[in-house]
Amino acid sequence: MSVPSALRGGIFVALLVTLPMLGLQHWFLNLLVFVLMYATMSSAWNLVGGFAGYPSLGHAGFFGIGAYTLALIFKDQVLATGYEPFLLLPVVGLVGALIGWPIAVISMRTRADVFAIVTITFLFVIQTLAFNLHDFTGGSQGTALPIPPFAAAHFEVPFYYVMAALLVFTMGLTFATMRSKLGLSLVSIRADEDKARGVGVRVIGVKVLAFSVSVGITSMVGAVWAYYESFIYPQFAVDPLITIAMVLMTFLGGRGTLWGPVLGAVILESGQQLLTYQLGAVQLYLIVYALIFLVIILLLPRGILPTIQDRLRLRKRRRRADAEGAATAVWPKDAAIPSEADPANMLGGGAT
Amino acid sequence: MSDLLSVHDVTKVFGGVRAVDGASLSVKEGTITALIGPNGSGKTTLFNIITGYLKADAGRVEFAGRDVTGSDPGRLYRQGLSRTFQQARIFPQLTVQENLVVAGGYGWRKLFTSRVGREDRRRADSLLEEFRLDRVSDLFASELSYGQRKLLEFAAVLMSSPRLVLLDEPTAGVNPVLIETMERHVRERNAAGITFLIVEHDMTFVMRLCDPVIVLDAGKPIFAGAPSVVQNNALVLDAYLGS
Repeated sequence: MSVPSALRGGIFVALLVTLPMLGLQHWFLNLLVFVLMYATMSSAWNLVGGFAGYPSLGHAGFFGIGAYTLALIFKDQVLATGYEPFLLLPVVGLVGALIGWPIAVISMRTRADVFAIVTITFLFVIQTLAFNLHDFTGGSQGTALPIPPFAAAHFEVPFYYVMAALLVFTMGLTFATMRSKLGLSLVSIRADEDKARGVGVRVIGVKVLAFSVSVGITSMVGAVWAYYESFIYPQFAVDPLITIAMVLMTFLGGRGTLWGPVLGAVILESGQQLLTYQLGAVQLYLIVYALIFLVIILLLPRGILPTIQDRLRLRKRRRRADAEGAATAVWPKDAAIPSEADPANMLGGGAT
Repeated sequence: MSDLLSVHDVTKVFGGVRAVDGASLSVKEGTITALIGPNGSGKTTLFNIITGYLKADAGRVEFAGRDVTGSDPGRLYRQGLSRTFQQARIFPQLTVQENLVVAGGYGWRKLFTSRVGREDRRRADSLLEEFRLDRVSDLFASELSYGQRKLLEFAAVLMSSPRLVLLDEPTAGVNPVLIETMERHVRERNAAGITFLIVEHDMTFVMRLCDPVIVLDAGKPIFAGAPSVVQNNALVLDAYLGS
């Protein structure tokens, strides 16, 4: 790990640890819990939708699976310390990943828009099951989880730290993926899957692995959310808007990047929560979501971070080229300026 | 010399078109074999069947003495059969160096190792230097010119130490200087033991470099022999010029 990466990571973790110690009000801590929740889910979605280029719209189904798994485990139980559900999160993640494995094997035989349709169908199947399996989910009347026995004065703090830990874990996983051949394989799949298969990349295995890990994390987040809410309904536990938020946040910040989904979640979720406070719970924020989508498509098709990175890179090259006295810096100086002497650069087509 | 690749009675039909019609041919180890023919004669379809990108409707493909009919392209690649495409296919979001590393054919155990390890870097840099792409190794492949992409794709398939390389129109759209560069690389690699099967329309390139030459017309081979003989064969002239 390079020094800037370690420094950035260290500062971020330190910030996460210190924030609840600043005597923040309940509403603000609650907002932070939701920002962290969406940042974690967007980072998890990024593993599949960002790196591998498979736009899953079914992740909210796994969010619901996590929520109901925890609800079933702790049905009619009284908690001693309140931390028991957190300790079982790896089990919930494993359940989500195991369910995700065959779903991935089947759905990832399709690509792009068809994959999106297949996965959103899965989401609605899960939602329908949640409405109809009354014995397990309570149907539309909902189901209760044990009440967290935390003091009202700092009720949000344990949830905040667990969400923060999940975010750090997911970002650590993303960072390791980016630095490994697994990340290389995922990006090659996104670029040209047939070609990747043709050069020996274990395409199916890599995709299924990324999907399973991604939905496993999403399930864990769903479980923490359910425990935080204490009572869950199918329409909220398996909500297509959760998926849309994950996708939108990742695209806004920059898919296939480490910090992009987190940035997107911070902007959108805090914006949404503030808009809800301002406008009431009439879901007017959805109109803002639509506007943001339009702005992204028009102005930032690659998201905030990749756009900034591209501009910085171009500026750096221009400066270098200017320093060398080049007339223009369209062709990168360190990339061999085309010359008659270099046959590799004497071709039609030009740089794209 | 033994046959490294042999194709037996392979047929592929698209709707009402018999793109490959009971084609049989063989490529001897150590040769630079050309596969030529007019447009639509089935060359690229046959390439796609040999390399596993298309399933044949009938027939058999053998590589290194093993029946590989219908094998996955990745498996064939790991066995030593690799190819390039008519339009160079590279990974634009990866750097030039990473394009070579990903083509190195790593297994499951290496999946969790460093993105570009020391050994990867050494091998990739050596090839990039040879192909005069070392100065652009840190650029994204999307930033390369068309000719550089062709070279990159060629260099990348060599990362897996192949036994047989299929080149699909390696000189298409590139200038004469680069054609000579390509030719030099093919000759050098062939001298090092790699067998080539080349689809090409540039006849001067084929006649200089390849022996034997197989001519395909309407989905089946109509002639195979030395380049000097092919040029004067009546069947071949008919196929290209019409009777």
